[in-house]
Amino acid sequence: MAVIEVQHLKKEFSYYKKKPGLAGSLHNLFHRETLTKEAVRDISFSVEKGEIIGLLGPNGAGKTTTLKMLSGILYPTSGQAVVDGFVPWERQNAFKRRFSIVMGQKNQLWWDLPASDSFYLNKCIFNIDDQQYIHTIEELSELLEVRELMSVQVRRLSLGERMKMEILAALIHRPDILFLDEPTIGLDIVSQQKIRGFLRYYNEQQKTTIILTSHYMRDIEELCQRAVIISQGQVVYDDTLSKINQLMGDKKVLTLKFSEDISAQQLAPFGKVRECKCREGILELPKEGIRTTMADILSRLPVEDFTVTEVPLEESIALIFRKEGAVS
Amino acid sequence: MNPYRCVFHMGIEKSLEYRVNFLLTMTSSIFPVIIQTIMWTYFYGKTDAAASTGYTYSQIMIYTLLATLVSQLVSTGFAWQMNDDIKRGGLNKYLVRPVHYGGYQLSSFLGEKIPQLLMLLVVSVAVISFSAAVFGLTLSATRILLFIISLLFALALNFFLFYTVALTSFWLTDVDQFFGTISIVLVVISGGVLPLDIFGEKTVLITKILPFGYTTQFPVNIINGRYDMQAVGVGFLCQLFWVAFFGILGEVLWKKGLQRYVAVSG
Repeated sequence: MAVIEVQHLKKEFSYYKKKPGLAGSLHNLFHRETLTKEAVRDISFSVEKGEIIGLLGPNGAGKTTTLKMLSGILYPTSGQAVVDGFVPWERQNAFKRRFSIVMGQKNQLWWDLPASDSFYLNKCIFNIDDQQYIHTIEELSELLEVRELMSVQVRRLSLGERMKMEILAALIHRPDILFLDEPTIGLDIVSQQKIRGFLRYYNEQQKTTIILTSHYMRDIEELCQRAVIISQGQVVYDDTLSKINQLMGDKKVLTLKFSEDISAQQLAPFGKVRECKCREGILELPKEGIRTTMADILSRLPVEDFTVTEVPLEESIALIFRKEGAVS
Repeated sequence: MNPYRCVFHMGIEKSLEYRVNFLLTMTSSIFPVIIQTIMWTYFYGKTDAAASTGYTYSQIMIYTLLATLVSQLVSTGFAWQMNDDIKRGGLNKYLVRPVHYGGYQLSSFLGEKIPQLLMLLVVSVAVISFSAAVFGLTLSATRILLFIISLLFALALNFFLFYTVALTSFWLTDVDQFFGTISIVLVVISGGVLPLDIFGEKTVLITKILPFGYTTQFPVNIINGRYDMQAVGVGFLCQLFWVAFFGILGEVLWKKGLQRYVAVSG
């Protein structure tokens, strides 16, 4: 059953055009030309209960604007959306109790006070009973490894610690739906892994529906079964992650290590040379006939070791962006 | 616990986090008093100022001290934060939770104000005792009680006044300078620097019609005994009217403004 249903969502922003320099500023004092930007042009998709989907796209594609409309922060210009049975921008309190949003670039906690104060405030706002609150705090602070930091002022926490606190604060009322807008942005690899691990576990345990935007493909690969790719305000792909690579024409990447130096010319007859330096080479090969090609390479070149992998997800997605950009 | 009570408590905690800033704010209000003391002493020494202002030297000094005190008691500082919330997407965190933004801001404001009010209470006792001893300010229990009531209304009025001003951030691109100017103008036209009735009958009438005088001049004139009971009663009604007016206007602007909110950055 779809818990989020989005149909032809559109959001336009108006802004003023300004020519550069002082002359432009003076001109704007007397005459302003209003322009309209379509941040979201036409977006439709649905999300099943308990699903984690990745909302992907380049900067300015409309991902965050879409999340803001789905969480009721923004009114759409047109289109419909139903989230857990509610129209988000009607901002009913019953709806606000069903979801949470975490924005990696925004702080929801009281900056000057320990995070535990903000947690308690959320307990009061969402009217959570004491037992459930204590249980949630104990469980989540343990999982996120922040128990020792609960009484430290938020401004004194590292970015990674703060983000864990933000996620904890967002989950105090056990929402059915969680919107995550770049939750791992700027974090080190260890913090990213911790947060990914936590989100995966939490989703499995609570069956929380999650929409995630991230520029880190590891986030998407490890957490999402499905991706909705947005480019220039429109959905250009909506399917499983595994199918994205088919868009690359069923190719594989072969990484080779040699016992002696090899040149690019020596590798070229077997496939597209992605990289060749001294005793290492990376080739792009069609999936079909890969066994024959491999046998050929092994018999003709001094191969010491090799690995065969899928084309990196980033490349497939970048290809989709480029295709759409060219069409538009 | 009621969420607004919780915000109120957190406001107190937040205020106590910045002790030095708090003390500096208090100390900085001494300088205008010194400047005004020098100015009035010079002015009253050279001319027959009492005839033209309607205030004796002692009365004007009492006014100066009490007006500075009241300005501090009712001062607000949340407009810049609200502007930042509106301009940089900070409102998001309020919009996604079942909480009323105005109520949240009021609770936070009152909480942050409490430690300052307690400190100012000590200063108030000192200032009023000093005024009574040196300048002959006569006090009565009734007048002190009415003064305290008028201060509470003035605090509420100043909150809703600045809340409404801050909401213009939805329509104005850069309001930092605007807020700075508004703050200074409001201190002056509320009688926070000098009594406005020294400028004549017309000014008195305008002061009574407009809301600003009810934030500072009105409470000061209660404690210094310039208002009789009838004037105090009318003043209370005017304070309540303006609190309701700005409360409703703020709610209307909030709803209209949200339609324009673009939640930029991030």
